[in-house]
Amino acid sequence: MSVGCGIDLGSRSVKLAVLDNNKIIELKKFDTIQFYRDFGRRVEGQLVIDWAGLGVVEADYVVSTGYGRNALDLAGAKIMPEIKAHVVGAVYQTGLKNFTLLDLGGQDSKIVKVVEGRAADFLTNDKCAASSGRYLENMAHVLGMSLGELGRYWQDPVELNSTCAVFGESEIIGKIVDGNPMPNLAAGVNYTIFKRIQPMLRKLMSPVLVFTGGVAHNRALREIICAASAVELVIPEHPQFNGAIGCAVSGAKG
Amino acid sequence: MKIGLTTTVPVEAVFAAGHTPVDINNIFISDADPMGLVEEAELAGYPRNVCGWIKGLYTTVLRSTDIRTIIAVTQGDCSNTHALMETWQVKGIEIIPFAFPYDRDYDMLQLQMDKLVKALGTTWGELKAWKTKLDKLRGLAWELDRLTWQENKATGFENHLWQVSCSDFNGEPHTFGCQLESLITELKTRQPLAEGLRLGFIGVPPIFPDIYDYLESMGARVVFNEVQRQFTLPFRVEDIVEQYRLYTYPYNVFGRIEDIKQEIERRRLDGIIHYTQSFCFRQIEDIIIRQQLGVPILSLEGDNPSGLDARSKMRIEAFVEMLK
Repeated sequence: MSVGCGIDLGSRSVKLAVLDNNKIIELKKFDTIQFYRDFGRRVEGQLVIDWAGLGVVEADYVVSTGYGRNALDLAGAKIMPEIKAHVVGAVYQTGLKNFTLLDLGGQDSKIVKVVEGRAADFLTNDKCAASSGRYLENMAHVLGMSLGELGRYWQDPVELNSTCAVFGESEIIGKIVDGNPMPNLAAGVNYTIFKRIQPMLRKLMSPVLVFTGGVAHNRALREIICAASAVELVIPEHPQFNGAIGCAVSGAKG
Repeated sequence: MKIGLTTTVPVEAVFAAGHTPVDINNIFISDADPMGLVEEAELAGYPRNVCGWIKGLYTTVLRSTDIRTIIAVTQGDCSNTHALMETWQVKGIEIIPFAFPYDRDYDMLQLQMDKLVKALGTTWGELKAWKTKLDKLRGLAWELDRLTWQENKATGFENHLWQVSCSDFNGEPHTFGCQLESLITELKTRQPLAEGLRLGFIGVPPIFPDIYDYLESMGARVVFNEVQRQFTLPFRVEDIVEQYRLYTYPYNVFGRIEDIKQEIERRRLDGIIHYTQSFCFRQIEDIIIRQQLGVPILSLEGDNPSGLDARSKMRIEAFVEMLK
């Protein structure tokens, strides 16, 4: 049987999923900059990857998706559209066919209505990435806590209103000065993400919501979503690898 | 003399008065460095979060040496135009305002056209004579449009370009007619383009015209350009006031929706791309358009004339993939 590798070239991290006979045998994540610097080389306009250096099993086929694919032609790889990769990944991981997919990554917020295993409609953030993981990273840094710690708070959120994620930093510094407790500030940050995705979510809602992307690890956001809407929230086993898994799965189908 | 236009107006009046109309949008977008024009407007103080077309138009006129009079559409296009007019005015540009009545009232429109006729120093008789001449050219654009959707012979970009040019007929109606005629002759001998996905492009003309070729590279072709088609006034009516009253673009969204629905059916469209400029009031109308059209819709936003960006490509690709 064939071994397939899916690569999701994200803005913050590169995710690899290796499948053997449709079973996940390996998942690896690299910092995006580090990945290109240490394991990638440009040869005649194509990105050639040092597979041995990566320490990943050599695959019979490679399928890639993500931001990078528009700028980089990955040598020897088939490319697939991101939304499709995420839908295939979510169907594979959850076994569901009808649901709304919420994918919150480093820069992207994607909401896809999935009907009978296929994308029926989708919305994404545009012009502004203040609803993404990168915003959480920045805010965690300002608050002096880890991403894991930040994701623990959802009660009594402090209201944050800046449109701009960078101005959001000075806004939160003002709130610190005002003496707001850290848990409320952290809850405010998490709630901000929800407010930005809520209009898109409402347009494409289904009874089941599958939540993927790195931000799915944020427990607070999961609690906020459940409290605000009567949905069954499903987090696949590997939310951050969903796109890479989708690539590997669809490659197996030929 | 040359008279600039901020969008489609009863252009017959300009020709009738012996002047040359120039749709400033076309000059801006075909400039060698349109982004530079936008940046210059920002340096002058135009905010970042204002439509790229407005900013491009501003600099285009200030840089031009021969456009000193402009017919600016104060109602029926966009309220940013008001401030655009004012910032031109303080630079010594003469402004002739023109307002399409929101409620599509015949008498109000006639009055506006009358004011335009008088401001330019021509007559209704001349105006009507020019309508007859220009309708012949519009007829050619209608034929090009028919060849696009019915016979699959013209590309989405050709359809866009020739129809959008009907706002001013490139200032040279005779040459325009000859060129379009020879294109149509050539199209008739062309092999039909491969039948793939059939898309409609609705909303203002795109600030990144490379979208048409990008779509075609993925097996999807635009066979309906809504507003560009409206620029050709595709209505066979004798009365020139009625012709500009039937024109859907400057009035409420419901007239546009009716027209779009008819064309979705007639042209057998698989999906619609609703294009708006970032920061435009038309982004609000997307709510109604999504509710009323009943076909898959991609809402696409464009900001600056710097080519189709990676994000938009990702979204277009996903939409095409979804329709296949």
